[in-house]
Amino acid sequence: MIAVSADLAIQVRDLTFAYPDGASALVGVSFDVLAGESVGLVGPNGAGKTSLFLCLAGVLKPRATLFQVGGLDPRDPAQRRRLPTQVGIVFQNSDDQIFSATVFDDVAFGPLNLELPADEVRKRVAEALERVGLTGMEERVPFHLSGGEKRRVALAGVLAMRPSILLLDEPSMYLDPRGRRELIQLLHTLGGTRMIASHDLELILQTCDRVLLLDRGQLMADGPARTVLADATLMEAHGLEVPYSLRGNSIA
Amino acid sequence: MTLAFTVPPPNSSFLGRLDPRWKLAALVCFAAVAATLHTLRVAAVALAAALLLALLARLPPRWFLQRLGTAALFFLLFVLPLPWLLDGNGPSWTWGPLHLSRRGIESALLLTAKAITLVTLFLTAQATAPLEATLKAAHALRIPALLVQLGLLSYRYVFVFAEELRRLRIALRVRGYRNRARWHSYRTAGHLAGTLLVRGCERAERVAQAMRCRGFDGQFRALNTFATHPVDVVAFVLITASAAALAVWDWLPRLLG
Repeated sequence: MIAVSADLAIQVRDLTFAYPDGASALVGVSFDVLAGESVGLVGPNGAGKTSLFLCLAGVLKPRATLFQVGGLDPRDPAQRRRLPTQVGIVFQNSDDQIFSATVFDDVAFGPLNLELPADEVRKRVAEALERVGLTGMEERVPFHLSGGEKRRVALAGVLAMRPSILLLDEPSMYLDPRGRRELIQLLHTLGGTRMIASHDLELILQTCDRVLLLDRGQLMADGPARTVLADATLMEAHGLEVPYSLRGNSIA
Repeated sequence: MTLAFTVPPPNSSFLGRLDPRWKLAALVCFAAVAATLHTLRVAAVALAAALLLALLARLPPRWFLQRLGTAALFFLLFVLPLPWLLDGNGPSWTWGPLHLSRRGIESALLLTAKAITLVTLFLTAQATAPLEATLKAAHALRIPALLVQLGLLSYRYVFVFAEELRRLRIALRVRGYRNRARWHSYRTAGHLAGTLLVRGCERAERVAQAMRCRGFDGQFRALNTFATHPVDVVAFVLITASAAALAVWDWLPRLLG
């Protein structure tokens, strides 16, 4: 019997997932994430980063010997239904995530699904928009927003659910340097448990203390961000590069 | 973004300030009556009433005429042949192979008046409230939630779809593609449509995943922000009473005769 620890936000043992066409996405992945920890997830294209996030969010149904996220087991249908209150996922493409006709409606979508009273929904929307710096944009329509604003709306929609764990999939994709800088500042203010999947290794360095390296669905490395990302041999073996800011003190 | 998707600026007219539920209910009643009219005279009065509503709604004339023109392209396809094809007991005129009948002309005019009335009412509803407010009003009026949600999602993603189409067309043009009546163009148009369908399908899957991640269980929920004022009820009664009067005027001679 494997113990479930209260200090752990995420516990995963031997997680395996294959798509219906038989393609293996994740093979025997095991790791823990402490409550309040910020963990980067890196790997080449097709490594299984998004699949892992979709498993953690309860969208995909993997096999595992132990699987608990925010105290819930995503494999159990009853617990999976409660997962959106514990885990918030921000997708790669904000257009996939902002599906309502106005910013207000989109941020209110999650709280309304929790069947909260109208006043509480309005309070949560106002609070989430304030946290991402979009107060006053409630009536804006999504197709009039910039890439950075869309990313913030997507994040506000997730924050309005008040999850204890945030999963951000390629958060700096489609952002210009200013938008990226603002996003990093915003991430520092969020707190809670975070996992960030990205090819932007500088962003990972600035926002995460620990890194998981995934390749072909397998966990290849797990350690402090500055150690893993500075290992040139490891990085090159998995189709990555040592971030520019670490090149002076490369291990290999 | 193409012109067809351009929404008119926020409307501060009398109709724009009405509660969307009362306004939608009134316009739908009026449209239902207008669509079932049989006499040209009554249909002309209904058209005049619809145009009066459009005037009260202060629709931007250019915006209104452009959309009416686009709609006319479709309904004129069906209306224009009627005077030449529809025959009856009334007067008719023949010039060689061409045969024109009075009944055909009247039917064409009746259909045209009804079509313009319906398009005008639709554009009035569209211009005087954001579409999402109108759809939420429809939900409040017990229109099935699935239809309302489909409408809202279609409205949201038609812009993304249009943007995707625009990018694909640019990608074709920069590789020297030009539309010409030849086999290569037809094949390319087919591939373009196929690509859009596949991308749309993949996007739909990702959107569904994003919705589930935020607790969506298949039930549409919206905050009710509507409030009824006396003016809403007065406007509703006036519009529906006008519709009822038109229906009586149209049907009474038939019932009595």
